[in-house]
Amino acid sequence: MIRKTEVEETLKRIQSHKGVIGTMVVNAEGIPIRTTLDNSTTVQYAGLLHQLTIKAKSTIRDIDPQNDLTFLRIRSKKHEIMVAPDKEYLLIVIQNPCE
Amino acid sequence: MSGSPSSIRKSPSHLSSTLQSKKSISFTEKGKETLKKGYAGATQSRMSVSRNLFILPEMKMTEKMNISSGKIVQVLDKNGVDVTPRPLYCPDPHAAKPNKLLSSQEGSLGSDFIASYSMYQNTINPSVMGQFTRSVLGSSTVSKSSISTTESIAGDLEEPYKGGKLASFTDLRVMRAAPETVLTKEDLEKNVEILLTETDTLRFFDLPTVMVSVESEDAEKVTQRNKKYEILCKNRLGNDLYVERMMQTFNGAPKNKDVQCDKIIMEDQGIMATTWDLYDSYSALELSSLAVKRSAIESSSKASVLPRERDQRLLGSTTDKNSEASSLMDIENVILTKVHEDEEDHADAILKSDKFLQDLFFMERVIMENIFQPKLAAYRQLPVLKEPEPEEPKEFLEGEKVGEVEEEVKKEEEEEIEINAEQSTIPANLERLWSFSCDLTKGLNVSSLAWNKINPDLLAVGYGHFGFKEQKRGLACCWSIKNPMWPERVYPSPYGVTAVDFSIGTPNLLAVGYYNGTIMIYNVQSSNNVPVLDSSESPQKHLGPVWQLQWIEQDRGTTGDDKREFLVSISADGRISKWVIRKGLYCHDLMRLKRTTAGSNVKGGDKEKKGEALLSRQAPGMCFAFHPKDTNIYLTGTEEGHIHKCSCSYNEQYLETYRGHKGPVYKVTWNPFCPDIFLSCSADWGVIIWQQENLQPLLSFYPTTHVVYDITWSPKSSYIFAAANESRVEIWDLHVSILDPLIVNVANPGIKFTTVLFAKHTDCLLVGDSDGQVAVYELRNMPSASDSGRGDIINTLLGSKSNQPG
Repeated sequence: MIRKTEVEETLKRIQSHKGVIGTMVVNAEGIPIRTTLDNSTTVQYAGLLHQLTIKAKSTIRDIDPQNDLTFLRIRSKKHEIMVAPDKEYLLIVIQNPCE
Repeated sequence: MSGSPSSIRKSPSHLSSTLQSKKSISFTEKGKETLKKGYAGATQSRMSVSRNLFILPEMKMTEKMNISSGKIVQVLDKNGVDVTPRPLYCPDPHAAKPNKLLSSQEGSLGSDFIASYSMYQNTINPSVMGQFTRSVLGSSTVSKSSISTTESIAGDLEEPYKGGKLASFTDLRVMRAAPETVLTKEDLEKNVEILLTETDTLRFFDLPTVMVSVESEDAEKVTQRNKKYEILCKNRLGNDLYVERMMQTFNGAPKNKDVQCDKIIMEDQGIMATTWDLYDSYSALELSSLAVKRSAIESSSKASVLPRERDQRLLGSTTDKNSEASSLMDIENVILTKVHEDEEDHADAILKSDKFLQDLFFMERVIMENIFQPKLAAYRQLPVLKEPEPEEPKEFLEGEKVGEVEEEVKKEEEEEIEINAEQSTIPANLERLWSFSCDLTKGLNVSSLAWNKINPDLLAVGYGHFGFKEQKRGLACCWSIKNPMWPERVYPSPYGVTAVDFSIGTPNLLAVGYYNGTIMIYNVQSSNNVPVLDSSESPQKHLGPVWQLQWIEQDRGTTGDDKREFLVSISADGRISKWVIRKGLYCHDLMRLKRTTAGSNVKGGDKEKKGEALLSRQAPGMCFAFHPKDTNIYLTGTEEGHIHKCSCSYNEQYLETYRGHKGPVYKVTWNPFCPDIFLSCSADWGVIIWQQENLQPLLSFYPTTHVVYDITWSPKSSYIFAAANESRVEIWDLHVSILDPLIVNVANPGIKFTTVLFAKHTDCLLVGDSDGQVAVYELRNMPSASDSGRGDIINTLLGSKSNQPG
């Protein structure tokens, strides 16, 4: 239970940080578990980022099979998408960097 | 006569005459040839339009021909000749016949063949019907060829009397079809006699060559014939003997046959064998042997659990919810609720997992990095990334931390613009990077700062008020540079925290001293808030606020241990204690600070200490500092204003006493480079530099009329030190000037600066204030002294005039 409150607190903090547009937690099938954006956007992000994560992971492991992907950051003109992938879920945060 | 069979066409009028003539001929012929020819029957054909005209030699030679069964209408011409048109289609009257024919054969079954053959063409060759080719065929596929052969034979037979090829009746070789009867075992065991005979060679197709070798015997004849033919052709043109006549050949109605098979659905299946896939498969093979053992144990436990709960789905994460299902519930309800709970469970499981927490932790740090990137880069002295889009300086600055005071923003704007404008000519200054603060710490007073000895990014901050009246709750936090917005660890307490320090030998231990005299030791690696050790039960705990804590590593040559570490604390009850961690905290007093009489000081003669009612014989100690080289010697500052030099060997007497301050000495520090110099600050607004052997102050500074709470030497230069008094932070550089501070940073009104700390490897200064913020400043444009690490600072200082305390 302590763990859960910690998780909730951290999630809330992340969502309230400056520049953070949205936070999403989706499971392996693309179903959102926790999200601050609307459902269609979430599903879209989840689907696209899932594929990209798989590709990135495949790339890393192709080079060295003992390595693994831990974090993925995509910086675009408008904002930065940060993905923490896992076998069972995807943690996605979209932030507008303050510069 | 030659054309008679072929001229049988659909016109019935011709039929009769031809028939008749034919009949006459045929019968006679038949008579001759019956011996030669036999019956022939075409093979079974599935598509048969069985037509045959059967003429038996036994038939009476009647004018009428009973061709088809069931033919009633008869046409007679004027002569009474039967001119009944022959039917184009005759069913097979032959059904009975095979029995007769076959009876002569051995081992033949009627099912094997039906004497019929199909003809697609409409030509009727009644004469032809007399002869049937019975060919030996075993499979239906050949039947088509048989049709064609029979047709061709029929074609041949159109001129039967010209010596065309005739199929001769040959021995039958009948294909035995699959027997209908069930074979018994005895039948199978029986020996079966099968007679095989060879048939004569059947010619199905013969295409005689039209070329003859020049050297052959017939060559002469052939060439003559060719010549004759040529002449004939030449003569043909315009010759009366030859008449052109058109003929139309009947083309058989072609029939198209389509076969359509089921659609063959093709699927492509591909896989890319990637390097990691191969690696995974190999390692899975190795692990499978281990997993087999484990799964056996698991499955047995699962099997016992499942029937009890009637759970139809195996949950990946079995949680306590399963155990709540009672077996008496409606199954459907159970399943439905379970389905719903399963999904929730799974989502919960994800949220509760360790990995998720860790990912959140990293994510937060990444976000922080994004937000604070320029500040952190400046801290770490890395190049600052600049976004290509130009932004106004205002916006740039507004993108700073939450909870910032407006005045500070403006001040920084000015600083920023200043810096951007004239980079080279501005003097040394402090640039504020960020501040550690959050909701928890708002309103608290920062009382102490300490870096972790191993991790240069980890900072311990103690929050607690100094004065007795202002006492509130206290807090000890561990902050990381990587996350300036939320502390990594929070240890709350009802008492104010007055001192913190990280251990050297075991860097995860944090000692915290409280206003009520207790000392707690926390393990920062674990995330719970329970202290590892607590001195509140110790009989020797301090009775007054613990003003300073420090972990000291001391060589214990006598006991043979390498370096024993112990915690030294000083508190307002006048004791300097050494705490050792054995079973719990074990305390040993290093020194009891006694009140010293100011007998030698004439000025204080009026105030006779003896006459005063002493509340205690102890002098409250405020601070101490161990000599960096010799850990046996330490200095301690008391509330009286005296600084005593003591030794660990003696716990009753002081070695020296330095008198110079008139108020409580809040901090004493040795110069890290020069072993003789130390610095002290006190509530009498003054900062004094002492030399060890000299009992009188070497240099003293009274910059403001505010209490100086904290001072610290810079780790990089022996001339630089920082002082925090109530209203401002000052950086002094003795090399540059001993009269004025190098940098002065004024605080906002209402906020007092209470603590200062230099960062070890970067040019940054941490300043804690009374509002709960720990601001990080970068020292910019510091005059770089090439000899900053020199130990002979004394010479420099002595060279200049030293101030006497006034």
